[in-house]
Amino acid sequence: MLEWLEATSVGLMIRESAYGFQGTVAVHLMAITLSVGTLVWFDLRLLGVSMTGYQASMMYRRLMPWMFTGFALMFISGVMLFIAYATAAYDNVYFRIKIAAMLLAAANAFLYHRLTERRIADWDASPRPPGGARAAGLVSICVWVVVIVAGRLMSYTMF
Amino acid sequence: MSAFFAWLESTGVAVTVRDSLMLTAALSAVHIVGFTLTTGGALVANLNLLGVLFRGRPATEVTRPATRGILLGLTISALTGVLLFGPRATVASANWIFQLKMALLATAVAFHLTIHQRVARTEAAAGARRATGAVGLLLWLGLALAGCAFILLE
Repeated sequence: MLEWLEATSVGLMIRESAYGFQGTVAVHLMAITLSVGTLVWFDLRLLGVSMTGYQASMMYRRLMPWMFTGFALMFISGVMLFIAYATAAYDNVYFRIKIAAMLLAAANAFLYHRLTERRIADWDASPRPPGGARAAGLVSICVWVVVIVAGRLMSYTMF
Repeated sequence: MSAFFAWLESTGVAVTVRDSLMLTAALSAVHIVGFTLTTGGALVANLNLLGVLFRGRPATEVTRPATRGILLGLTISALTGVLLFGPRATVASANWIFQLKMALLATAVAFHLTIHQRVARTEAAAGARRATGAVGLLLWLGLALAGCAFILLE
């Protein structure tokens, strides 16, 4: 399966073309800025650390298009890089840590939207949101730092 | 200058970093966490001036926290950046992409702390705000791209 992925035309293109790998990694890195770099401002609002004069729901609505554009670009470029180096990535411990951290990020976002956000009307304008919201913001920041760090460590340990 | 870079490379700290791949990797990873914070803050501040993010609110409400994020990110990236530069001072300083990155860094920071701050504070005319946001965005994204190019093409 992993070898089959590596043999696909996407895998070949990234490995063989002059700047295919560098270009894809550059898109992947720039997409972090767009996704995590904007998401962190919503997390800081949930924590009550920054932008406390803005409603949390407003922060989310305004940042969401940038966040999701970034996540889409990061996901597509990430999948392309995985296809090109599937075997080495799969065996890499930091790749596994990164995937685990991203699953935690998804679970954290799911729980936030399912539980904490349902009562957002009660605390939307509060400079200090309730514990559940602050926990969601803190977990999000920590987990995305782990994703970034593990991602960078992959490039030092895979090749 | 080359004597200074040679001395820098011979310091104990630089030798320690050079001799440890995992230390280098960890420094580079933290460097990118700072990069994310800086460029994210710059995106928020400049997209606001461009009138496409958090529009209709006083620009200082966005610029002030965003600037704190930029400065915190820059501190993280500068500290780790100096440690990464030490072991490769001679080669890196002669690399044109690195030189471009440093020039963009200095320009972006100077532009943000002077013109951007003034335009945000004085609630300048819409045209001036948009122009400032566009220049700021180009400088910070240029810096980010030069950073990517430096680690990928050296």
